[in-house]
Amino acid sequence: MATYRQDLKSRFAALGIIIIVVLAALLVRLWTMQVLNGESYAMQAENNRVREISLEAPRGRIFDRNGVALVTNRSALAVYVDPTHEEVGDLLTRYRSKDTADDPTRRELDEVFGEMAGMLGITSQEVFDKVADINQEALRPRVVAIDVPIEVVAQLLERQADFPWVEVEEIAVREYPYGSLAAHVVGYTGAISEAQFKESDEYAGYELGDVVGKTGAERQFEGVLQGDKGWRRIEVNAAGKSQGVVSEQAPRAGNDITLTIDMNVQRVAEEQLADAISEARRQGYSSAKAGAVVVLDIASGEVLAMASAPTYDPSAFLGGISTQEWAVLNEKSSEYPLNDRAVMAAYPPASTFKVVTAIAGMEAGITGENTTYTCTGRWTDMGTQWPKWCWKRTGHGTLSLRSGIKNSCDTVFYEIGYEFYKRKAEELQAQARAFGLGSKTGIDLPGEVAGRVPDAAWKKQYNANYPEYQMWLPGDTVNMAIGQGDMLTTPLQMACVYAGIANDGTVMKPHVLKHVLDKEGAPTLTVEPEVLFDTTISDASLGVITRSLIDVTESGTAAGAFAGFGVTVAGKTGTAEVKGKDDYAWFCAYAPANEPKYAVAVVVEQGGHGGSVTGPAARNILAQLLGEPIKTVRTTDQSR
Amino acid sequence: MDKSRSQRFLDAVNVPLMLWTAALIVYGTVMVASATSGMSGGSGMLVRHVVGIIVGLVPLLLVWFIDYKRLRGWLSVLVTFGAFLLISPRIPGLGVEAGGATSWVQFFGIRLFQPSEPAKLIFIVVVAAVIASFKGRIDRPGDAVKVFAYLAGALGLILLQPDLGTGLVFVAITMVMLVAGGMKGRYFAAVAVLAVLATLAVTQFHLLAEYQEDRLLVFIEPDRDPDGAGYNLAQSKIAIGSGGLTGQGLGSGTQSNLHFIPARHTDFIFSVLGEELGFLGAVLLLGLYLALLLSALAIATSSRDLFGALIAVGVLGMWLFQILENVGMTVGMMPITGIPLPFMSFGSSAMVTNLGAVGLLLSVWSRRYGT
Repeated sequence: MATYRQDLKSRFAALGIIIIVVLAALLVRLWTMQVLNGESYAMQAENNRVREISLEAPRGRIFDRNGVALVTNRSALAVYVDPTHEEVGDLLTRYRSKDTADDPTRRELDEVFGEMAGMLGITSQEVFDKVADINQEALRPRVVAIDVPIEVVAQLLERQADFPWVEVEEIAVREYPYGSLAAHVVGYTGAISEAQFKESDEYAGYELGDVVGKTGAERQFEGVLQGDKGWRRIEVNAAGKSQGVVSEQAPRAGNDITLTIDMNVQRVAEEQLADAISEARRQGYSSAKAGAVVVLDIASGEVLAMASAPTYDPSAFLGGISTQEWAVLNEKSSEYPLNDRAVMAAYPPASTFKVVTAIAGMEAGITGENTTYTCTGRWTDMGTQWPKWCWKRTGHGTLSLRSGIKNSCDTVFYEIGYEFYKRKAEELQAQARAFGLGSKTGIDLPGEVAGRVPDAAWKKQYNANYPEYQMWLPGDTVNMAIGQGDMLTTPLQMACVYAGIANDGTVMKPHVLKHVLDKEGAPTLTVEPEVLFDTTISDASLGVITRSLIDVTESGTAAGAFAGFGVTVAGKTGTAEVKGKDDYAWFCAYAPANEPKYAVAVVVEQGGHGGSVTGPAARNILAQLLGEPIKTVRTTDQSR
Repeated sequence: MDKSRSQRFLDAVNVPLMLWTAALIVYGTVMVASATSGMSGGSGMLVRHVVGIIVGLVPLLLVWFIDYKRLRGWLSVLVTFGAFLLISPRIPGLGVEAGGATSWVQFFGIRLFQPSEPAKLIFIVVVAAVIASFKGRIDRPGDAVKVFAYLAGALGLILLQPDLGTGLVFVAITMVMLVAGGMKGRYFAAVAVLAVLATLAVTQFHLLAEYQEDRLLVFIEPDRDPDGAGYNLAQSKIAIGSGGLTGQGLGSGTQSNLHFIPARHTDFIFSVLGEELGFLGAVLLLGLYLALLLSALAIATSSRDLFGALIAVGVLGMWLFQILENVGMTVGMMPITGIPLPFMSFGSSAMVTNLGAVGLLLSVWSRRYGT
């Protein structure tokens, strides 16, 4: 008995040690977790408990000069597909792999998306195209449809188990009360691209997938229109259900802006441009599809209207444009409707440039209002082996400079151009540059091009690989004198030239932003008129030009277009020759001629003659500006 | 030696054991109150918890006043009844399935209790009687095999349910009692080898239910599946760790109140305690357990026979293992099983059983001078 009692003592001691070891082990573990690492666990608990959601700031609205909203915001129900969901991810992986043999078949897409697509009224291929769009962050849910009817949303949510990759959210989208009106000036919005994201200021706080301005004013004034995102920290339970708001920072809405555009003028400009294109086609110029209009306020440089054809519907970009739609908008056959031709396209200005040649000639003392020229139709001053023809092959006979402008006689300007060539001082180029040609006007719109004023240095450099073409020849200056050859100008630049002539030789900087508005709608920033170029042309020369341009609309190449117009208009037709294409029709003008307020430039690519196609368009745009009746004008013009 | 009536009563009462038990029950009730406060029907649960405590006093007193030595004579009855308890959840009409195992019984559709809980006490008494018959030495293989045969029988019935955690409690009870019963060191080594082999066999041939295998794998590799089986463990650790030194305050644990802690009033009550009362609260709890276990050990030491000592050691082993397993799982030291924390977890079956265990200890204690 005594022996095992002795043994028991040591066994109980062993049990006592086991008890202490077990409890000590637990205690050490708890010490490590709670005291040594408590902070980190507390942070994890906080992250568990609190979710931060970002609150989108409403984007600033865009108004026309009279306060009419061109772009506002509205809410829309958007249906998203989560590309990271297994079922969807598998299809994407196969689609993106190099091997095209394993691309998802139509049947597989129908199997996955078919039913949902049917409810949304689109095809499963369209759904997949949006999901597979590479212009968005890989992991972010993709919008496949917006403005989904509430009944459809309800059905989708009821059947969440069948479509586990579907999400529905109410989002704020742009609204365009006037559809595509001023689409090129306003621009469209879309998800920020990787490139835009990378070059954005990190303090701007962009996240991939944020909606930003992509073109036009939306892009130019992105920093003003885009507000500051807010956030809300909510407490959630384990099921992710909100238990209340912990803290919140309200978003700051973007600023509204007022443009210089006058909606009514803009509408007429777009209608007239479209009419001019169809008129050109009626006249047999079947390639006429595109063109541009610029209307400037002469004294301030404000752009009252800016149209580009063909146009597009900016609402197509809401919720992300499909790959297919995007491809259509960027196809040659669609004539690139996203391009704002008023600032992004450069054309030979043709006869509309003759005013610059005339001014340069007068300022150089090589011509004057009544200097006479003889036009036989064929001009051979550079040698009979290089004859040049006037557009009127039978010749204009003897005529003055003023009459040469009125009738757009090429011979008169060949003579002046040849004179400039012989003087070897590139004075014509200097005059063109004095009006701002060959350089960007600096308008507050993205994508502007500089055009080109050719000179000897340019030609040499341009033909660096073709030594035989490097020499500046008499024909180069002569062609330039009639706005052909290598001259290239944007419609905006030509509008600026005419506005500058009308403004006593001072070109104002064109701009589309009038005000940035504060919350109460009062301007916090107003764009003041700014002088772009002061040409220092003599009043005498300007007077000659105005008188000549009045002749054009009263009895010259645009007389038909302006027949019966109640206000005196100074204008000039142009018909540009472009190799391999039909002629481009131009018309530039300012009015009223004696007290100019507005300058207009109209171009129709491959539209034929300025007097019969773009002249009537300019007439009706000026009619809108000056309170004259708008009417359909059909006339003919054979000049160039 | 003739003693007065009051002296005899005082001799029968083990003040430390009753004090620590009462303290733990109060502590547990406070924690259950906190854990259930945000639940729907939380106050009803608290009432049920208190009812469980009161009901548990019946077996406590009953077992206390039975002379434990008489239990040796009822061995076959106890074995039969114990086996019936363990098999009862499998009897059609009696058993109820919950949480992947059939470990409850019901009468007339009312879910009543987990029979494996009281079966632990019967098992302790039976194994104590078997080991006691070897007179403090287990040095013949046949004797060891006999003990393990009882364990194997119990395990077989438990794994029918199946309830791995409870099975492990039975193993722990047996091992602790074998230490006190004097099994040779060599046999322990052999058992360890067999256990390792058995574990390998179980994992290789997937003998465990899938959820049990998941829990074990997560225990080995906690980041394996943080949203699935690892979620419970991760959330429990966050809760306890975020408690820091002094805790978030009673009733203020976000992990608990926002439902991040699973089964927070039952198996994971310690996570709530750790979060709300911090390291100091945990130290208090473990301190109470140390006192409780040492009281049990003192009672074992005081026993005038080996049978009584083994009963006390068996109870001690049951509690010690449940504390290690339950607290250990909440901090990631042990795999997750459904074992309640003695006197703390919500659950009447366990509470009644643990109070019955206290009754066993008191029965041993109060008869330390007997004939």
